[in-house]
Amino acid sequence: MKAAITSIGVAIIMALIFSLPALAQESGTITITMTGVNEISISLDKTQWPLGEVAADTECMTSPPIEWCTLTVEGNCNVKTRIVGEDAEWVDNAEYKWTLSNDGANGENVYGLWFRISGDNTRGPLGDGYVPITKTQSEFWPYSGGSGSSLAPGNTKQFGLKLLTPTYFVGGRQMQTQITISAVAA
Amino acid sequence: MIRHIKLAGLIVALLVIFLPSFTLAQDVNFSVSPAEVHIDNLPPGEAAEFELTIHNKDEIAHNFTIAAFQPPEEERREGRVEFPDDSWISFSSQEIEVAANSEANVTVTVAILREQQWAGGDWETWLGVTAESSDLLAVKLYVRLLVSTSGTKFNAGLVAGIVVGIVILGCGGYYYFRRKARPG
Repeated sequence: MKAAITSIGVAIIMALIFSLPALAQESGTITITMTGVNEISISLDKTQWPLGEVAADTECMTSPPIEWCTLTVEGNCNVKTRIVGEDAEWVDNAEYKWTLSNDGANGENVYGLWFRISGDNTRGPLGDGYVPITKTQSEFWPYSGGSGSSLAPGNTKQFGLKLLTPTYFVGGRQMQTQITISAVAA
Repeated sequence: MIRHIKLAGLIVALLVIFLPSFTLAQDVNFSVSPAEVHIDNLPPGEAAEFELTIHNKDEIAHNFTIAAFQPPEEERREGRVEFPDDSWISFSSQEIEVAANSEANVTVTVAILREQQWAGGDWETWLGVTAESSDLLAVKLYVRLLVSTSGTKFNAGLVAGIVVGIVILGCGGYYYFRRKARPG
C-alpha cells in the first residue's frame, strides 16, 4: 500500500514538473505602442450639394461632374480612403425614406448614388468611371486593381457625384442623406 | 383642359426638395492621433488604457463621436483577425465637444475577459471618430487598434496526455515497488 502511494505521488510530481512550463501562461509586461506621433486627417473642400426640386427617375450630376470636390490628405501619415452612403430620410419624419440602392439602380422609393474620381475612366460596373455608393463601406481610393497603394500627405483627389432619383416617390418632401468618406492609416 | 391640370398635378406631386439642411459651408477640419495603436502582451483578465487626441482645427466648436468598427478582412494588417467583442472597448466619453482650435483627449480602455480561450490572440479593430454634421458629405477618421494577448491557449490534448502519463507512471511505479518488495 505504501508503495502504491509513493508511486502515485512520484508520478504526479514528475508529471507536474514536465507539464507546468507548458501549461503556465507566458508572463511579461503589457506594451502599448503609439506609432510615432502619427496624425490622421483628410479634408473635403465641399460638403453640400443643394439640388433643389428633382423629378422622379432623373439623373443629377454635380457641377463640374468629376472635379466638384477635392479631398486632401492633411495629416502626416499615408492613408487609404473608403466611402459609404445611407438611406435618405424625410427631414420631418424619418419613417419615410428612400432606400439607397446596392447597385446604383433606382426603383420605387429606391435611389442610386454614384461617385467618379477625376482621371478614372474605366472603373465601375459600366466601365465609365462611375462607382455606386452603397450602405456597405467600399474602397474610394486606392482601390483593388487600381494604381497606387495609398494617398500620401498633401495628395489630393477630385471627384464628383451622381444621383439617380427613385422611379416613384411621394412629392413635396425635403429629403436628407449623408455620404461618409473615411480614412485609415495605410 | 382637365387632363392638362391632372398631368400638371402629377408632375408637381413627383417633385421633391432634396436639400441638405445647411446652406453655408460647414466643412469640419479635424485630426486624430495616434493613427495606429499596438497593445502587446495583454493577459486575459487585464485591461490597458491609452489616449486618443482629437484636434478641432475649425473656428467653431464641434461635437465628435467615437465608436469601434470591425474592418473588412482585406483591410486588416497581415496576421490579424477580427476583434472578438467590441464591448471590451470602452471610452471615457463616446461624445465629446471640442472647442474651436483646440484639442481634447479621450481615454480608451481595452479589457479582455479572463478566459483561457482569449490567450494568444492577434486582433485588429478600428476606432472611428466623426464630427457631427448634417451636411451631405462627412468625414470619418479611423484609428487602427491592434491587440495581442499573452499566454497560450488551453490545450485539451496536452492535459489528456498529462493525465494518461500520471496513470501510467503511477501503475508502473506501483508494480515496480511491489515486485521489488517481494522476497526472493
